Amino acid sequence: MTKKRLGAVGVIAAAAIAVSGLFVPSANANNTIVVWADGDRGPNLEKVLKEKGDWVSGYTITVKSFSNFDALKDAFDKATDASGPDIVMGANDWVPTGAKSGKLAPITLTASQKARFTAGQLFDLTYKGKLYGVPVDVNNVAMIYNTDLVKTAPKTFGEMVALYKANKASKGLKAGLCVAGGGMSWGAHSIFSALGADAYQFDSRDKIVYNRSFNGTTFGKNVRTHLLDGKKSNGFLPASDAGCKDNFLDGKVPYAIIGNWEWKDYVAKGFTMNLMPVPGVVANKPGKMFGSVSGALLTTFAAKHGVEAGAKSLLTNFFGSTDGQVRYQKVEGRPPAEKGAALDATVSAAQRGFGAAATLSSLPQIGAFLNNNAGGANYWDSAPAYWTAVLVDGKDAVVEGNKLAAIWRANTTAGKADL
Amino acid sequence: MTSFFRGKISFAFKLVALLLIASVLITLTQSAVAQGEYFIAAFLGITVFLLALTYLTKVSIPLKFFLPGILLLVAFVLSPIIFTVTMSGYNYKTGNIISKDEAILQIQNRAFEPDANGTSFDIKIGRYQAQEALLVSDSVNNAFFISTVRDRIPLNPADLTINEYGVAESAPDFAVLSDSEMANADKLYSGKRFTYQDEYFIALEGFEVGIVSRQVLSFDAEKDQFNNIITGEVYTDNGKGNYAIADNPDQYLEPGWRAPVWFENYTKLFTEERLRGPLISVFIWTVTFASLSVLTTFALGLLLALALNKPIRGRRVYRSILILPYAMPSIMSILIWGGMFNTEFGAINNLLGTDIAWFQNALFAKFAIILVNLWLGFPYFYLVSSGALQAIPSELLEAAAIDGANPRQIFRRITLPLLLQILSPLLIASFAFNFNNFNLIYLLTGGGPRAELDGELAGATDILISFTYKIAFGSSVQDLGLASAISLVIFLLVAGISLYGLRKSKVLESFQ
Amino acid sequence: MITWLRTNAWRHALVISVCLFSLFPLYLVVISSFNSTGSLRLDSFIPREISFANYKMLFNDPAIPYLTWMKNSLVVAGATAILSVTIGSASAFAFSRLAFKGRKTGIQMLLLVQMFPAILAISAVYVIMERVYTFAPSIGLGTQAGLLLIYLGGAMGVNIWLLKGFVDSIPKELDEAAKIDGASAVQTYWLIFMPLAAPVLAVVSLLSFIGTFNEFILARLFLVDMESRTVAVGLQQFIGGQYSENWGPFAAGSIIASVPIVIIFLSLQKYIVNGLTAGSVKG
Repeated sequence: MTKKRLGAVGVIAAAAIAVSGLFVPSANANNTIVVWADGDRGPNLEKVLKEKGDWVSGYTITVKSFSNFDALKDAFDKATDASGPDIVMGANDWVPTGAKSGKLAPITLTASQKARFTAGQLFDLTYKGKLYGVPVDVNNVAMIYNTDLVKTAPKTFGEMVALYKANKASKGLKAGLCVAGGGMSWGAHSIFSALGADAYQFDSRDKIVYNRSFNGTTFGKNVRTHLLDGKKSNGFLPASDAGCKDNFLDGKVPYAIIGNWEWKDYVAKGFTMNLMPVPGVVANKPGKMFGSVSGALLTTFAAKHGVEAGAKSLLTNFFGSTDGQVRYQKVEGRPPAEKGAALDATVSAAQRGFGAAATLSSLPQIGAFLNNNAGGANYWDSAPAYWTAVLVDGKDAVVEGNKLAAIWRANTTAGKADL
Repeated sequence: MTSFFRGKISFAFKLVALLLIASVLITLTQSAVAQGEYFIAAFLGITVFLLALTYLTKVSIPLKFFLPGILLLVAFVLSPIIFTVTMSGYNYKTGNIISKDEAILQIQNRAFEPDANGTSFDIKIGRYQAQEALLVSDSVNNAFFISTVRDRIPLNPADLTINEYGVAESAPDFAVLSDSEMANADKLYSGKRFTYQDEYFIALEGFEVGIVSRQVLSFDAEKDQFNNIITGEVYTDNGKGNYAIADNPDQYLEPGWRAPVWFENYTKLFTEERLRGPLISVFIWTVTFASLSVLTTFALGLLLALALNKPIRGRRVYRSILILPYAMPSIMSILIWGGMFNTEFGAINNLLGTDIAWFQNALFAKFAIILVNLWLGFPYFYLVSSGALQAIPSELLEAAAIDGANPRQIFRRITLPLLLQILSPLLIASFAFNFNNFNLIYLLTGGGPRAELDGELAGATDILISFTYKIAFGSSVQDLGLASAISLVIFLLVAGISLYGLRKSKVLESFQ
Repeated sequence: MITWLRTNAWRHALVISVCLFSLFPLYLVVISSFNSTGSLRLDSFIPREISFANYKMLFNDPAIPYLTWMKNSLVVAGATAILSVTIGSASAFAFSRLAFKGRKTGIQMLLLVQMFPAILAISAVYVIMERVYTFAPSIGLGTQAGLLLIYLGGAMGVNIWLLKGFVDSIPKELDEAAKIDGASAVQTYWLIFMPLAAPVLAVVSLLSFIGTFNEFILARLFLVDMESRTVAVGLQQFIGGQYSENWGPFAAGSIIASVPIVIIFLSLQKYIVNGLTAGSVKG
């Protein structure tokens, strides 16, 4: 029996090899540029590329849409050239890590191609002097006010607080100003800035000053005056963004900071797009908001897949061109980065409104500083921590303000090396 | 029926099934070899061999039961673990992720700089005298030339077809690539240096544009170093995964590669105060959290199982409601709970009429986490406890009742010990699960509250796995090497605790 | 009446209060699913609006193949449940009943392996499946078959442990009798053990099914194509945009997605709770 079975083993092996000979793995001819994008942008890109797909002759373009932005980042962090994309639609702060880790490849734009973008936008996608992609859309926030509660646009931060206090009881207000888009760090920067705490400082010639931070005491005192009632929050600014959108739409909050990706929801509820920056403690010195770009980034996998020139052509012909951005943003609805596209007639009033607010007071989102944690915590963690400490835990606004200033200074100083 | 498992039919059936499986696996092995994936190919080959050996001979009866499970475990659980543990010996972090060969290639690819003016030309790609060539239009100087890897051939504008943008479309002896040739053009033209002047050359930036660049760095494979051609600086392997200037270690080339650092990641855990302090407090909370979670979920589950162990009215409805927390996707439930605990707008403060800042206070946050985990976990223990209750032989209970024991005594002396015996593997597994219950912590509190402004690394509700995750996949620096070292330490700890628990509960003693 | 109070009232009181505890958050999910602004409605118990926009979106928007996602989830979770229990129960049987060298070490190893913080090993799993993809695109990255294999591997440890606990509670007399009758181990397994263990297997399958159905960390990495996504991954699209979240459709989708689980639970209820008695001495 055993002998027979051993024989069977042989028979199986022989037969299996014979059968397996029938399947021959196919060699794959590669003339496809693969673009990875998140769940919002991906399907829209696909739609646009279906309408017109001949941006690079001889190539087909496939878009892989991930279920959401985090999933896209997770996958890109893990991908190798076996399956990685040729172009990835990513955030500007992916550039330093991607470039350091050898996942992103530099591209060189011609002078005329560069002229289509602002210097700040290109700077957003630059790491150590090399550019890693082309800017596609602008991400920013702006303040919107409810015209039923607010008759004229506020000129100072104090005006808004006064209006809140006057109407709190009679109108049943739940807060004065809240952050509906972008969270208590990214979205709330313009509040920090309006009260005197910018993430980094510029000198008179708009050059970054690396070894200085905002004045923690001045900022803390402004917070005391406008946001606190003794040691407790006066209710003007909630420490978290939860519920802000609903309460604003319900007419329970007069001012809200909203993101440029969600204006359609507000328009649908009948709000006018009266967008403006957050007014500062004195008139005409509005708080600065982050105006960052998302870009189409070139990967090092493109060269491995033998489509490097094709991918570069796609970046300049489609992602970075007026025609491409107009077609794409018509579906996507974010403000286009490219100058020609931004002026195009198809750009909506809201898209323009955000653009206008951005030109009034915008700050480049410099990942090298904001992601740095040399001071003990990066911007994204320390900013919301300040609101919690002061508005919830009742800690001293000035003491915490000075801690925050020290952290941001250390991060900026250390982050200089990553520029 | 018995004969089916012994007879020739069964043997033939088995043979055919094995034949099919083996042929699929061998096909895969071949393709794996063809693609150069030798590890996977070896695994597949061994799999085929083991399958045949186990199911066609009588080498080992237990192996017939184990083999599929073992193979799956090795492929998708053990080998990733081994890879992760290996990484703990490397400086596997942002900037040092790829292999050395790959890093050299990348540095070489970035070793160019455009000329001072950023000169660029419109180009057409094609062939000149059977070589890859560019037809270059220098619109600034209104000059035209053909450039190959070897030569630069000036052209007379009069001989060319020039379009309305001033770009030459065709030239004598220059064959513009046809559409079908374009298919392979990328591989042929990308990365080539077309002649311009002096040390400068033209490189492709897409199919329409050429950029004037020069090489800055050159690789010396023999000495294993990069030389800066212009400044003469020398970058050597610094042993830490980068090419750096010897007397100026901060000047290094990017990207770096993953280099072995042996035990550095482990010694960091004990020598760096910034890591050591939080690790201890996080460990204590992790054990507390896991124990409390098991206790509360098991207690409530068991209580419900006891309450519904009798056919009372509405039992079916109750059961269906009790399973609901289990049926809901847990990400949804956790985030809903997170919102319910919100200070200003949350339902819990509304319900209680309080304004507690749940997630800003360490104690409240811990309580919230245990409560949410109770909600998520009790249906499981309700299910398994009611199953186990049914599995206790009723004779035992009847006998005890006849002996005059009251229900409470019966429960304490007979039911509970028996239940614990049946369920202790599950309790231990549940402890291990909660020890690493990343989703709950990450989605509910994110590990907070944390005194970020005071420079604390770990939050009050961070458990080891969420703390490690921050290190491994944090937003700015991702240090997978260090995280792997921590995870190995976590593993040893939880394994030790669980083995101790197993010994204590005598589960393993039932094995002879 | 008094006996009723003593024996049954506490049961009702306890169970009703726990039921309320269970339902409370779910009620808020339901309210949120009728909210058209896309945020979670967590401040009041009275729905401020009843809008079916989210539900309509799931079923009418051609860009959201919700029913396909649902089918994918059922297929992947169903296959994982059945296969992992089939494979796992064989191992559990061997651990529980067969004498062989290294049994104790084996079961300890099995327990230990599942204690490794798996989330860190995900990078390695990703790379493995990426490599598999290069030579076998149909079972590598991005395929349900590949994900199924990973799930099976991951489920082994837990399932074998779970099943072993129950197998131990099945009296040995039965299979010992079979052994005396001259049955081999394989025959004992198929002819005696399997019928006895069927209810237990049903429970473990259900647990495995639920676990797989709700899994999203691996699934969102591996199932990228819109048509191959599971419900858990598909719905993720709404929450986790770069700066925005849209909870409405997510809530609506979650509610619908939990329906099959509740149905399966209800239909297996008899097995789950009463069925386990089949393993007792009387069986």
